[in-house]
Amino acid sequence: MRRARWFAQLALLVLAGASRAGAEDRPSVVIDPGQARSYGVAVQRFADDSASAGARRADAFREQIVRGLEYSSVFRSIDAKAFLGPATTVSLDEAESVVCSDWSSIGADALVEGTLRTDTSQLVVEFRAWDSTRCTKLLRKRYTQPAQADVASLARRIADDIVAAFIGVRGVSATEIAFVSNRSGNQEISVMNADGSNARAATANRSINTFPSWSPSGESILYTSFRYANRPLLFVSTRGHGKPGRVLSRLGDRAGVYRGVFAPTGPKLAVAMSAGEAAEIFSVSLDGKDLKRLTNNRAIDVSPTWSPDASHIAFVSDRSGSPQIYVMNADGGDQRRLTFQGSYNSNPAWSPDGRWIAYETRLEGQFDIWLIDPTGSTNVPLVSHPRSDEGPSWAPNARKLAFSSTRRGRADIYVIDLSGDNLLRLTENAGDNTNPSWGPFPR
Amino acid sequence: MGRSNAISLGALEQREFRRLLAVSVLAHVLLALFLGFSPGSEVVMPQGTIAVELVSLPSASPAPAAVPKAARPAPPPPPEPKQVVLPKETAPPKPEPKLEPKPVAPPKPKAEPPAEPATERDYSDVLSELRAEVGDEAPTPAPAQTASIGSPTGSPVSPEFLAWERRARIHIRQNWVVPPSFRNEPLRTSILVELDAGGAILGEPRIVKRSGNPWYDDGVVRSIQKASPLPPPPEAGEWSFVFVADEGY
Repeated sequence: MRRARWFAQLALLVLAGASRAGAEDRPSVVIDPGQARSYGVAVQRFADDSASAGARRADAFREQIVRGLEYSSVFRSIDAKAFLGPATTVSLDEAESVVCSDWSSIGADALVEGTLRTDTSQLVVEFRAWDSTRCTKLLRKRYTQPAQADVASLARRIADDIVAAFIGVRGVSATEIAFVSNRSGNQEISVMNADGSNARAATANRSINTFPSWSPSGESILYTSFRYANRPLLFVSTRGHGKPGRVLSRLGDRAGVYRGVFAPTGPKLAVAMSAGEAAEIFSVSLDGKDLKRLTNNRAIDVSPTWSPDASHIAFVSDRSGSPQIYVMNADGGDQRRLTFQGSYNSNPAWSPDGRWIAYETRLEGQFDIWLIDPTGSTNVPLVSHPRSDEGPSWAPNARKLAFSSTRRGRADIYVIDLSGDNLLRLTENAGDNTNPSWGPFPR
Repeated sequence: MGRSNAISLGALEQREFRRLLAVSVLAHVLLALFLGFSPGSEVVMPQGTIAVELVSLPSASPAPAAVPKAARPAPPPPPEPKQVVLPKETAPPKPEPKLEPKPVAPPKPKAEPPAEPATERDYSDVLSELRAEVGDEAPTPAPAQTASIGSPTGSPVSPEFLAWERRARIHIRQNWVVPPSFRNEPLRTSILVELDAGGAILGEPRIVKRSGNPWYDDGVVRSIQKASPLPPPPEAGEWSFVFVADEGY
């Protein structure tokens, strides 16, 4: 029996050796990435059937797609003046052949073509994305929306789709970032597009508002406000509703609720709330039911952040004598310390892919942003600067982070790739812009 | 319930407003007296502005006091001391313990640490690649390099192969886009490519080992097709390429 097995193994080895020598008796060439490069993309001006809108709508649409693609750090746009092929889409007819060499020869790895059509009261946008090197169509899609709806955000959505078609990870140019700004003289919540455009106020109550947190649907923002009784209490602002709603009012006004965050999976919150002398972490449903205390000690426990499957919560506690990041089960069980480096670690943010917890750590009196994996085995810096970098928040694709930095003097919101590349400042107005909260993918 | 709440809260707000108004008027009266103006000339209009300042200044605002054991120590004064006002929730009330020495930072702010320190070899690689690129014959490769390339049969690798391998690697790298999300991931794709004597790719590249990420595999095929023609190989025929996303492979 044993001998039979021995023979079988020998035969396998001989076979493997023979097949390998037969296929290729040469060494392999090993290629590693080298320096960072991006895909060249040629974006045609979409054919627009609306004579009244004229070229302007199509030009603006193209510009937004280009912006969205370049925001991904995956693509760089090729100037339409360099095109050998048509600058405006001729037709999306499948019979119409694309001359791929026209595009690959100008350095375009990708070609985007499309049409804009106004159909009664609907805007219909259809597009195709090509891999011009391999001359294969990667994506064809159609969007229909009310004619008066925001066209620019649709263009960025298309850009994000194209990013997904090329790298398997959706772009985030069509997402939004909420943040805290005191540019009006009060500390209010504002919202802007992920590239910093179209910043607008979400609150205007002339009080102190902070710690915005998006609902998983992207329809609501939960935040802490001192608008009533000079106590920190939770409120929720919902799109299309002028008046913000008070959250957890059934808990009364006496307890301060310092910060609340939506669970990624449902209408559940983790909140940091006063309990006796200390602040503790609780879980509670949005309507105030099912209140459950998760931490119970004399130390301060604050800044909860959910794991993407809502099975765990990371938070800050000073139970060891200095603020450090801890992780526990969502029911409060199995609490363990995660950070042991540095004397002040705070503001954890769990990445949407579950792989990292970003946090701020104090070094030489200023804060840097580091990443630690949930087991604590890898702990690396992401943003280091002599001035303070604080309040990390993840893009929904887990490939970028937003944070605030005082590197220009006053605090501004920046975004950076997970690789540490492509730092981009989003805010440029007077005042301090802090506490970014990156919203989910648009529905 | 909600209505009565709203009313009582409204009353609270009104009371607060009156308090602020009183402070404001008092301040103005004092200021006016100080400057020698008659109190009658005081205009009530600027109240709003004053109230705003009260909210935004730490000393005048009642709010920060209500923040839990609040505000982490102010960072040393980047221009605006106002920044301090932000109600930070995470600071404990006790005096901060002294800062520990700066943690030892891993070499670069990458999402993942390099799998193995290969710096020395990398530099020699870069040098020889540069020489190869300018046509300068690279020095005899270090034994480690030979070992890393290897040959399936374990036979020694010819100098012709090494020279071509370097040129091919540089050429392919220039055509290979590795998006940030793939870098440093444990992705590895092996392909076989038929090359003619001039280096042009004949037919379709064949993936013999997939990485598990179809978009990464697509990018590999895209890059080798873009790279055609490659530098002329030592001999025409089928050649094997392995694309690794993690530089510390």
